[in-house]
Amino acid sequence: MSADFVQFIELSIAGFLTLCIFSFLYKDNPFYRLAEHIYAGLSAGYYVGLIWNSVIVQQLWIPITRNGEFMLIIPGILGLLMFTRLSQNLSFVSRVSIAFVMGNTAGISIMQQLHGYVLPQVADTMAGLAVGTDNWYSLAGAWVIFIGVISTLIYFYFSKEHKGVLGVTARVGIVFIMISFGAHFGYTVMGRVSLLIGRMQFLMRDWLHLIN
Amino acid sequence: MVSLSVILPLILTVSLPISISPESQRLFDRVEAIPDGSTILLTFDYYPSTLAETEPMSVAALRHCWRKDLKIVTLSTVGLGGPNIADRVMATLAEEFDKNYGIDYVNLGYKANYQAVLLGLGQSIRSIYPTDYYGTPLDSLPMMTDFDTYDGFDFIYIISDNGIVDYWVGLVNARYGAEMGAGVTAVMAPKFYAYVRADQLIGLLGGMKGAAEYEYLVEAEGMATSGMVAQSMVHMTIIAFIIIGNISYFATRRRNVS
Repeated sequence: MSADFVQFIELSIAGFLTLCIFSFLYKDNPFYRLAEHIYAGLSAGYYVGLIWNSVIVQQLWIPITRNGEFMLIIPGILGLLMFTRLSQNLSFVSRVSIAFVMGNTAGISIMQQLHGYVLPQVADTMAGLAVGTDNWYSLAGAWVIFIGVISTLIYFYFSKEHKGVLGVTARVGIVFIMISFGAHFGYTVMGRVSLLIGRMQFLMRDWLHLIN
Repeated sequence: MVSLSVILPLILTVSLPISISPESQRLFDRVEAIPDGSTILLTFDYYPSTLAETEPMSVAALRHCWRKDLKIVTLSTVGLGGPNIADRVMATLAEEFDKNYGIDYVNLGYKANYQAVLLGLGQSIRSIYPTDYYGTPLDSLPMMTDFDTYDGFDFIYIISDNGIVDYWVGLVNARYGAEMGAGVTAVMAPKFYAYVRADQLIGLLGGMKGAAEYEYLVEAEGMATSGMVAQSMVHMTIIAFIIIGNISYFATRRRNVS
């Protein structure tokens, strides 16, 4: 078989499955379910193989057997302990592994959130508020962001009834939240339409050669 | 109507002017300022499902880098798709730019547990990736012999369709001070503009529009540019439907009141 013919078969399978998925726009049907099940099965199978190769083989088996990194036996055992969840009597043992994962994840996430998000963003919100720091456009922008952040935070402050100054500020916060929702919605529409365009480009250009 | 708004512009190959956002321009200018011969890290942190938005960014970024004769190390924190897409895209463009594997570019592939990978690369690339995507030891690749941490990269260019950008910024930029820019899907873009404002990201490409802007900047119009006319048409259609829906609603309400 020539390479072109093989490529045509591959593209045709992809094109057919794309049309199967699009058929859901009419209603749920066997073609859609066929494509859905193939996708789920392929993804799961591929992922199992990928994790087996990239984690078990490359990061555990090879380092232990070839490089003598016997310390890796400990995480290996922690991984095996997770399988005790399959037994009702022994499932408590898996808590050791879960505790390790939770501690590790929390430690990294706290550092990432604090130093990567909270502190730099708070600092930037305060930056540029003083007159003369930059041009008037940047100054106005800095104040809009500052007011937006403070009023939005106040909207989510529930320990006091939203009346008087607090109520007015919270209502300003709602305006900023709505603008944020609008921006997110607009971008989401653009993202979803992009996916449709991508599929159409595939069907019409790569598969059917209707466009260049 | 939406389907027609997508199909017709693709068939008729109409074009519309593309305005460049400051975030895209900043990213382009930063890459442009990297001295020739430097090495950058380009990530393929995305699944095949978002290829329409992310692949044009990768292609445009690669074109920009190789026109400048930069060396590229690539990796992926996404197992399903990322490394294979990197392999395909880089091999195709390497042929066009006459680049050689191991000398001009290296594909490190995928490793599970992205948090450990990102932190580990700051200490030793070899400890995380003893071999590349094809199983070749890193020390046998000429362009990988001189460095072993993020210090070896003049810039980190992230192309992503998921929250990994938070970790690149929060772990790598914050801890190791590595300079970076990102191209992300439209759904994620609004969140990451805050990083650009705080100079945690040098620049940002948002969705197909961002990809089209970068294609324009590198003077290599491709899939994103051709898709932007359809994008604009669909947006006009949606806006028209929103206006018609509102007029219809208020007209009906007025009729019911009277």
